[in-house]
Amino acid sequence: MKWLLGALFLAGAWLVVAGLPVAGPQPDRAPRFGGGLAVLPMTFTHESHFGQPCATCHHEFADHRTGQTCMACHVTDPKAAPFLEAQFHGLCQSCHVAEHAAGRPAGPTRRCIACHLDDHGF
Amino acid sequence: MVTGFRGAVLAGVIAAVFATSFLAEPFRGGGWFWDLGNALGLLAFAGLLFQMIPVPRKRSVRRHEVLGYWVLGTAILHAFWFLAGDGTVRFYLLPGGPAHMWLGLAGLIALAVLSVLARMPDRLRVHRHYRQFRKAHRILGFVTVGMAALHVVLSGFYLPAWWQAGVLAGVLVACVSGRRYWARLAHAPAASVSGYLIIGAMACVLFLLIRDGTP
Repeated sequence: MKWLLGALFLAGAWLVVAGLPVAGPQPDRAPRFGGGLAVLPMTFTHESHFGQPCATCHHEFADHRTGQTCMACHVTDPKAAPFLEAQFHGLCQSCHVAEHAAGRPAGPTRRCIACHLDDHGF
Repeated sequence: MVTGFRGAVLAGVIAAVFATSFLAEPFRGGGWFWDLGNALGLLAFAGLLFQMIPVPRKRSVRRHEVLGYWVLGTAILHAFWFLAGDGTVRFYLLPGGPAHMWLGLAGLIALAVLSVLARMPDRLRVHRHYRQFRKAHRILGFVTVGMAALHVVLSGFYLPAWWQAGVLAGVLVACVSGRRYWARLAHAPAASVSGYLIIGAMACVLFLLIRDGTP
């Protein structure tokens, strides 16, 4: 049994370090969105979010600061960058989870890879 | 099959752990993939709590041992479910990952060590005296349960209210302590693997139906 557990541990460690050995797009953590912070890619379309009030996400409208994409500011602003994951999970995921709990079409809720793939258009 | 009252204790522990997650926001779900993976984790945690009930295991020690392997198998399945099923989860186990994931990994490794060191003949190689083994096994069990409980509580998704952590802690304390109370039972709690699998499968299906199958 100890050999089996050892083999499983090594397999798990390999999965963590090298990622899944499958074809198809897999996420990587790298500097993106114009910043130096190594972050995961993200998929997002405005089309799938029609019906949501713009200011729910676009706080810069209320702050009268426009011109940059969300991510460009959130990965370069030294005050915001450390909270990137918490802020975006709090904003995006909590809304999707609430919609799912209410029985409405919710899109991705918890499956990480459902959001963390590059759509090259965010 | 579930063996009378003995199986009922296991059913009660599994029910208590799963029910704790439904005390607040019962329809909060993350999709069938996520919820099934985490139902397996909750089942492993409940099995671990059952294994920690402090009773003499003179005649049921073999059942305790075999059930322990299945609890370990469930915990491993929980871990690989996410690692192999979602290419992004691995980033949570790399440097910078959240504490609850490291605690889950540490708890799983501790559970594996707990199982390996309790297995003959390795047990005799490490512990020459039974008392020494029993003490070490119990202490490592406490460490494993503690890390697993923190993993569940700090991940937070199924226990969104702070007081749910208190309820889960209450279930944990009831299972790992109260030797005098447990000794009053006519039969020491023991359960078969088939009982664990049947009750566990029912709990997982209910968990999925409630979180993902309700309109």
